[in-house]
Amino acid sequence: MDIFFLRHAILDSIASGVPENTIILLLLLPIIATVIAASRTIIGIRGFGIFLPAALSITFVAIGPLLGIILFIAIVVISTVVRIVTRKLKLKLQYLPRMALILWFVSLGILAIIFTTHINFSIFPVLVLTLLVEDFTKIQLGKSFKTALTLTSQTLILALVSYVFLTYAPFQKLVLLNPEIAMITTFVIDIMLGKYLGLRFMEYYRFRKLIRS
Amino acid sequence: MKTSSILGLNARGALFTGKYNSRRAKRIADSKIQTDRVLRLAGVPHPKIFKKFTTAQDVFDFEWSNLPDAFALKPSRGLGGDGIIVVKKRTQHTTWMTSSKQIITAEDLKLHSLDILEGAFSMGNDPDVAFIQEYVGRHSAFKKLSFRGTPDIRIIVFNKIPVMAMLRLPTKESGGRANLHQGAIGLGIDIASGITTKAIHHNREIVYKPETTKKLRGIKIPLWNTILKTAVEGQIASGLGYAGVDIVLHPEKGAQIIELNAQPGLSIQLANMEGLKRRLDRVDDINVIDAEHGVKIAKALFASKFVHRVKNSDDVKTINAIEEVKIIDANGKSTIILAKIDTGAWSSTIDINLAKKLGLLRKNKILMTRKKLSSLGEEQRPVISLSFWLAGRKIVTRATVSDRKLLRYPVLIGRIDLQGFLISPTIEKENLVKAKW
Repeated sequence: MDIFFLRHAILDSIASGVPENTIILLLLLPIIATVIAASRTIIGIRGFGIFLPAALSITFVAIGPLLGIILFIAIVVISTVVRIVTRKLKLKLQYLPRMALILWFVSLGILAIIFTTHINFSIFPVLVLTLLVEDFTKIQLGKSFKTALTLTSQTLILALVSYVFLTYAPFQKLVLLNPEIAMITTFVIDIMLGKYLGLRFMEYYRFRKLIRS
Repeated sequence: MKTSSILGLNARGALFTGKYNSRRAKRIADSKIQTDRVLRLAGVPHPKIFKKFTTAQDVFDFEWSNLPDAFALKPSRGLGGDGIIVVKKRTQHTTWMTSSKQIITAEDLKLHSLDILEGAFSMGNDPDVAFIQEYVGRHSAFKKLSFRGTPDIRIIVFNKIPVMAMLRLPTKESGGRANLHQGAIGLGIDIASGITTKAIHHNREIVYKPETTKKLRGIKIPLWNTILKTAVEGQIASGLGYAGVDIVLHPEKGAQIIELNAQPGLSIQLANMEGLKRRLDRVDDINVIDAEHGVKIAKALFASKFVHRVKNSDDVKTINAIEEVKIIDANGKSTIILAKIDTGAWSSTIDINLAKKLGLLRKNKILMTRKKLSSLGEEQRPVISLSFWLAGRKIVTRATVSDRKLLRYPVLIGRIDLQGFLISPTIEKENLVKAKW
């Protein structure tokens, strides 16, 4: 069998009308996932799991990083303010209705942004961002505000790094031209990451006094 | 220290929690209701659960005014101590005061319970169970150390051996919670003696309790042996191979398990300035028979360097049949007197002339008079409150007053005040007093 079968298959499907972008995104997605996994097991950046930063980075690709971040921050701020206000007003609401109310405000907020700026963006990225609200609120409830904030900012950093990988043209080209090498390399790195048991970079910092003692 | 001695998140997951903690055991540890059941069946001490709410109907049907004056309302699968309301006293029929000094009504408690049932505090917001648990107050040893909340002792138990321990003190910043992330203080503990060694606050080493001059090292934790043994028993009962056992000291009932953790945190290494990985590797393949054996191994393996300087680190002290006691008089001064240790007597007795001399027999000091049967027949004797030091321990008790003029020793210490002592029948020569008749 031809070892370049992937490359041929890609050329064939592009020739038959499959959008190039779809194929690039599908090829880059495992790489993004590896990058996110590596930043957790080697560096120690946590973020909200692997799905959220990946989804967020694709959102950034779809609507641009600046608008993406603004929207994300707007959503986080709206949900936090609503939560604090309902608490201050002693509006004792049960959990799910309270979440529904937060989503109500978030929808209204996004509508307000659309009405004032007349920016045209598709619903998919906005939906992903909106669904982040529950995770954020959940973590805010379960942990301290500080933890929620660090996790959110780390998610943003991961998403931005992933965004760079997704949009950097030479990198896209490299992967598109060498899909076999890209896939096999990520596969091997994933296995190696899974076997890594040493300290993470951030743990070297956390335990620096122990190491020095 | 070598970095290979330190346990990081990667190694914790792959080598310990992932390998030794079965899914079933994790489920037990994650649910306080199930933890309670397992500990109850195994006979391991833990705070009682008064009432469990599984449906909203349970919450509405419950007679809230029947609640005791102090209790805790908790979610079964809560995270990081969130969603817990601790009530310390009743202010009215159905209003209470929480540990953070807020007034709370039965209506508030109902809504909070409904929140818990909806899953507002649980992992993944799954529907949860709420329950009302016995209140565990602060042990007298920790009174001046913690802010409002109850301190707890986190013990990492692996292969039935207590590997590392940390005392967690709630602070104002942590809102009375014993969680290091929320600003509680962590104190490393020497496994052999139960004495605190180092303290950390926000991962930085501190010497004094913040804003005070109270030293945090050198604190002896009472009932240390029992605490270690209880922790191991809890680990065995839970089925977790690698467990973080949280223990509270009930003022009267002693060590109780409040929570089990399937993924205990790693800051305990900073509080002890020791690497967990190395300790865990050392006990990995030891064959441990039972909890007591595990505690013995741990004490032998993990004693800190100062342990040889700690006298009588055991919970039981040996005293002689005649011992010097320091009696605290009405002015708070202490007087050294020889006392007879008498396991044949129920309560302690002090000579009437001595009591008068120390100012302990004034009218307002007499608690009551009691009929007492002694070897001299039946007589009415006054009962006074008496504090004294015996072999380095302060004992506060009630003592009867009698005329012991003809007896050899003016003070007799009875059985109720001898808890935790072992009595040797010998008498030191200089303490021997000749008969007075």
